[in-house]
Amino acid sequence: MVSSAVVNTYPLSSYTFGAKEPKMEKDTSVADRLARMKVNYMKEGMRTSVEGVLLVQEHNHPHILLLQIGNTFCKLPGGRLKPGENEIEGLKRKLSSKLAANSPGLEPDWQIGECVATWWRPNFETIMYPYCPPHITKPKECKKLFIVHLSEKEYFAVPKNLKLLAVPLFELYDNVQRYGPVISTIPQQLSRFQFNMIQS
Amino acid sequence: MRNCVAAVIVVELFKHPHLLLLQVNNSIFKLPGGRLRPGESDIDCLKRKLSSKLSAGENGRGPEWEVGECLGMWWKPDFETLQYPYLPPNITRPKECTKLFLVKLPPSRRFIVPKNFKLLAVPLCEIHDNHKAYGPIVSGVPQLLSKFSFNVVES
Repeated sequence: MVSSAVVNTYPLSSYTFGAKEPKMEKDTSVADRLARMKVNYMKEGMRTSVEGVLLVQEHNHPHILLLQIGNTFCKLPGGRLKPGENEIEGLKRKLSSKLAANSPGLEPDWQIGECVATWWRPNFETIMYPYCPPHITKPKECKKLFIVHLSEKEYFAVPKNLKLLAVPLFELYDNVQRYGPVISTIPQQLSRFQFNMIQS
Repeated sequence: MRNCVAAVIVVELFKHPHLLLLQVNNSIFKLPGGRLRPGESDIDCLKRKLSSKLSAGENGRGPEWEVGECLGMWWKPDFETLQYPYLPPNITRPKECTKLFLVKLPPSRRFIVPKNFKLLAVPLCEIHDNHKAYGPIVSGVPQLLSKFSFNVVES
């Protein structure tokens, strides 16, 4: 009935990081992104996106892996589902697209855990809420965050135009200005898990 | 270390989820709950506190409370009021840990509340991001509930 889910986290040093060809953003500005979202909404209805929370440990504190574009903007690995695509399969596809080497043999066997948060976008604007606001019958996007259980050794290939960062939970907490509402509130959503910090 | 538990109870009004909060003396909003006795389990303490604050009495003459899963934990590294949703690094002896549990209500229930408390049902849209009025723990509850999908049962 009541169980604290346990998440194994391994040191950053137990993972190997390589580079692969750049993966450019499809939109050059926020306005472009919202315009493209509108076009897609007309064709396919509400967008469902999935993102992965990948955890490692450093100095006995959990760190989340974030992709940094340019010098400031950070995002979680993930993206939009194709119409009718299953959430878990879609997340595996996106994780491999952003973080796995291109040869099929080197692709990690992604272990997708439970959903830790859901965010809703009521209009074609940047604001999102962790509930569907009252009086909104046609939300434009639903974004789901899933915890991803990493195994002890993985090889990640990061697109050349992105940087992969391991950010400690204490840096994210209450830091809406730097990371936005979705990423800065991940520490609260992870607070019920017990982290098993495994040393190398 | 002091162990506390708090209950997250959700009801529906105008097709939007509302959280039950107790307001003490017209000022602070709290989730129903409290501190564990030595050797007491989380669930037993929560049932005891719920009966004491929302039902006929600690000796549980009211119906049973159905305690669901743990939604989150908040840690106090020292005796000041600052709480964090993780154990801050380099802290080996935290002073307090508060665990939030989802409590499921039956279709119908009678609440009996002490006269100096007010029981309120506050919509999630009012609590979300409202750190100033509700504090970090209560204002963070909408995000902890976001992974659930609410099944609105008509009466």
